[in-house]
Amino acid sequence: MALIAFQILLRRLLLAAPIVLCVSALVFVVLRLLPADAVAMSLPPGATAADYDRLKAELGLDRSIFAQYMIWLGRFAAGDLGASIHFRRPVAELVGTALPNTLELVAVGLVLGVAAGVAGGLAMFAWRGRAAEQVADLAATALMSIPEFLWALLLILGLGVALPLLPFVGRLAPEFALPPHITGFLLLDSLLAGRAATLGSALLHLVLPSLALAIALAPLIMRVLRSSLLEVILDDYVTQARLRGIPERTILLRHALRNAALPTVSLIGVQAGFMFGGTVLVEVIFGYPGLGNLMVDAVRNHDLPVIQVVALVYCLLVLGINAVVDVLYLLINPKLRAA
Amino acid sequence: MIARMAASPRVVLGAALVLALALVALFAPVIAPHDPAEQDLMYTLLPPAWAAGGEALYPFGTDSLGRCMLSRLIHGTRVALYVAVVAAFGAMLLGTTLALIGGYCGGRVDWLIGRAVDVWMAFPPVVLALILLVGLGTGVNMVIIAIIVIDWTRFCRVIRSEVLVVMKRDYIPAARLSGFSHVQVVLREVLPAVTPLVVTLLSLEMGIAVIVEATMSFVGLSVEADVAAWGVMIADARQFMNQSPWGVVLPMLAIFLAVFAFNLLGDGLRRTLDPRLMVARGPAA
Amino acid sequence: MTQMLDRRSVLAGGAAALMAMGVSREVLAQAAAAGQLTLSFPADVPTWDPNARSLAAVQSLYKMVFDQPLDQATDMKAQAALVTAWRYLDAGGLSLELTFRDDVLFHDGSRMTAEDFRYSFFERPRAPVPDGGRRLDTAFLWRRIRDIEVTSPTRAVVQFSEPMPSAIAWLYFLCSYVVPKAYLERVGLDEFQRRPIGTGPYRLTEYQQGSRITLEAFDRYWGGRPAIPRITVDIVRDPTARVASVEARRAHVAVDVPIREAVRLGTVRGLAARIDLTADIMLLQITRNGGFERDQVRLAAHHAINKDAISRAFFQGHALPISVPAARGTPGYPENFSFPFSEERAVALLREVGHGPDRPVRIKFFTTNGVFPNDFDMARAIGQMWRRVGIEADIESIELSTYQERLRANTLPEATMFNWGNAAGDPEMYGGYLLDPRAIFSAFKAEEYRDRIAALLIEPDEAKRFEGYRALHRDAVEKGYSIPLLQSVRTVVHQASVNYVKYDNGWALPQAWSFRPA
Repeated sequence: MALIAFQILLRRLLLAAPIVLCVSALVFVVLRLLPADAVAMSLPPGATAADYDRLKAELGLDRSIFAQYMIWLGRFAAGDLGASIHFRRPVAELVGTALPNTLELVAVGLVLGVAAGVAGGLAMFAWRGRAAEQVADLAATALMSIPEFLWALLLILGLGVALPLLPFVGRLAPEFALPPHITGFLLLDSLLAGRAATLGSALLHLVLPSLALAIALAPLIMRVLRSSLLEVILDDYVTQARLRGIPERTILLRHALRNAALPTVSLIGVQAGFMFGGTVLVEVIFGYPGLGNLMVDAVRNHDLPVIQVVALVYCLLVLGINAVVDVLYLLINPKLRAA
Repeated sequence: MIARMAASPRVVLGAALVLALALVALFAPVIAPHDPAEQDLMYTLLPPAWAAGGEALYPFGTDSLGRCMLSRLIHGTRVALYVAVVAAFGAMLLGTTLALIGGYCGGRVDWLIGRAVDVWMAFPPVVLALILLVGLGTGVNMVIIAIIVIDWTRFCRVIRSEVLVVMKRDYIPAARLSGFSHVQVVLREVLPAVTPLVVTLLSLEMGIAVIVEATMSFVGLSVEADVAAWGVMIADARQFMNQSPWGVVLPMLAIFLAVFAFNLLGDGLRRTLDPRLMVARGPAA
Repeated sequence: MTQMLDRRSVLAGGAAALMAMGVSREVLAQAAAAGQLTLSFPADVPTWDPNARSLAAVQSLYKMVFDQPLDQATDMKAQAALVTAWRYLDAGGLSLELTFRDDVLFHDGSRMTAEDFRYSFFERPRAPVPDGGRRLDTAFLWRRIRDIEVTSPTRAVVQFSEPMPSAIAWLYFLCSYVVPKAYLERVGLDEFQRRPIGTGPYRLTEYQQGSRITLEAFDRYWGGRPAIPRITVDIVRDPTARVASVEARRAHVAVDVPIREAVRLGTVRGLAARIDLTADIMLLQITRNGGFERDQVRLAAHHAINKDAISRAFFQGHALPISVPAARGTPGYPENFSFPFSEERAVALLREVGHGPDRPVRIKFFTTNGVFPNDFDMARAIGQMWRRVGIEADIESIELSTYQERLRANTLPEATMFNWGNAAGDPEMYGGYLLDPRAIFSAFKAEEYRDRIAALLIEPDEAKRFEGYRALHRDAVEKGYSIPLLQSVRTVVHQASVNYVKYDNGWALPQAWSFRPA
């Protein structure tokens, strides 16, 4: 079983390799065609035309796009992601610090969103045929009609300022130091270092940003789950279970939910891109030190090496989630499991 | 089928809201009390007329440049609907055409289109938008182009699999045998079969386009400076949220209303046209 | 280090988490009692190498960790810092003698000497640039240094290849910081950027790029240990979030909040707001391109702008209208000169060249949106003012980087809204750079000023130099070569418990602040 899962994961990742190559080439070409001039950005005040040409040559920007791409690709394959023009630090280092933060945000957002979505879906299912279902359904449509960044602003105003319950800036309260760097994941590192208070502060700081992401995800899950439950409940085995006198609640949780979970899981795969996209704006609004903030900084400064790698990392994340979703699909699908 | 649609409260409510918005957009110059671009630096950030300190002259108050909020909201409807309709149709045309070609031809063409969709789907939309932001610059039509470039896959992916289902039906080979050309088969047999799905997606895409327009103005890839658009209104009013919450709340409500209308309509259409669709695909916000 | 969590510490953590909820006010007060100040700041340093980039927005951050040879007092006057005395040894202004303190320590305990100065201002800028690397900005700014002779650990003589009368001002401006030679050579640049040490009042203890900077007072700081022992800088780019952070008592001090918010928060109990003029100025970077080719049009454009109305509408009247491109009260600002707002004159000037409200001049107008306070609003208000007299501006919002690129390529449109930073207040850094056709800073290439400015750049007599710049500024405005708008303001909102110290040049320096005894 685990072996099959592993094989599928491996196959998916192999299939993803050409996509990654295409994406990297696409981003590279698009960025080089743009009227952005990274050289002018990095020159000090009063620089001359000669300084300009020299820096351009140093950055390799005087060669053809194809030659530049091949050089970039060669270095990339060798593990050299290049250096940021604006920050003057290796891109790998910048991405290395930002990525774990974004992953933690997405993970918590996903957990909250799925939990709320599943709860809502079950509730809607339980209310089926009643007015409450219609109300919940309308509410879901209404929730979906508000984009993430507006949720972020509303949450800050509501739970940060009007009722100052939760922090909304950064990752930790100022009185806490960062735990020793082990994995780069703040939550994990504070756990490993045994710093419970730090962990608590980090979790609190995650609540609002992840909530902004979760609210956008939950109504989708809620509705898909509700409708797949409605379908599954008509299946033969549910009828049989009923006939055997198994309580409704057990049927729902043990059997129906497992089958109804499949479309939900694939929905999460489809939504992965939107989740990560949503983090960009949410991170900017909450001053959260993740990939999104790095991306926005890089775009503002026309920092092409950083944009290039961050865009690629986002693609890898989306593809990675999709691969994981495929494996999950296999693990929970009883029909495939039997095979 | 029309009767069934008319019986669905969602379709009726959604269509009524969309119609109302369309009327507002159409008659904007007549309804709006002011020129939406006219500034009055003496009267900035006025509250709505009913609140303390409000002026009857400006029913919904003014923004930070002293422009009439109501007039801007009304004119903003034009931009929102223009972006929604043109961008959604553009994405639909591009996505559906590729889906029909891919699904009908199969083989290498289909493979190629499928891979293009894969590459596109690996991009988080906002990230793609940011990259486009560096290059395209600003303007209503840039926003539309960006939405089409980003969202055509939404149509292509879903419609393609639907085309594959249709292709398995008996009447397709039958049509070919009776002497129809490929183009005729696609247009007369395949396209009608997927039209309900296309219409549903189109309606949802219009809602998405409204959201994307607002999001784009938030990151700076917005319409021209003198165009009144809801997204710009929020971006403008954001820093005065505490003095003048109406500046944010009113365009938010407008966005909400428009998106809600399109979502209701799309949802209702989906249910009446093809209940089976509810299972496999969420409306993918 | 990898000890696992036991049940008790989890419970303790939960309790701490609960305590942190809903009681942020007390948390902040407790932090203050423990000597901890949180600052909500809009920008992050691009690198911890302070010599690398000249960025006005982050000087306050660098100045916590590093020192400049000279410093500015709160009234912008030059004052001794690492350098206690300075004098030119010759009449031609080619050798500048500097005397250093002998009690300055770097954060690693090593002593700062004239050798470190030579390293920072001569050896580093001249060092060959590694492949793919970038030259330091100090390499350009101090390009006129021929050599620095170190005569003793506390004495150095800077030899210039040509006179640099603004050198004194440059010793406390932008990227002129002293870095430790021995440490940097030992650990290398990469490690230095990760763990920078300077001679400044605070040591960097933790740095999360783009998010948080944690600093601890340096016990052996030559200027005495700063009053507040620990500073946390939260990088919060979003102005609304900065407002919220100080309002929700999650930060002691928030810098650059929207003016109206500053006014509102000033009335909130327990908070204090400041709206202070700085030496920065807001202006239109104009060119001779397109519709702005003729002097009459540019002058008309200037006459048509009601700066008072803009200041009142967007800055509650706090930002002072200026008539020349210099801050009021600085040596480059001529008294008894003012450029009037007059729509009649604007219309008359435009009529001279055959234009009017019904036959408008069409121009393109760039503005950033949200980079400088009220930038976009001001641009749109000016657009409307212009329309009334017959200038139709197509306003386009751009990123700051677009401005830099277009400036470099000489393809800026007719006008661009810009905030010109000049913490030093020296007139060379106003008109000297804005109007010099040779400087890449200048949008308006005023060829006829080439020799005039070249002479001012090396004018050793300070009084004559200042007088020259005052005349230049005035001349440029009268000819329509410059459209200055307003003197910028810096807004700061802080908890009433903080003794905030205002610097006229706009710095926000926590080393100068303290907590009021409760």
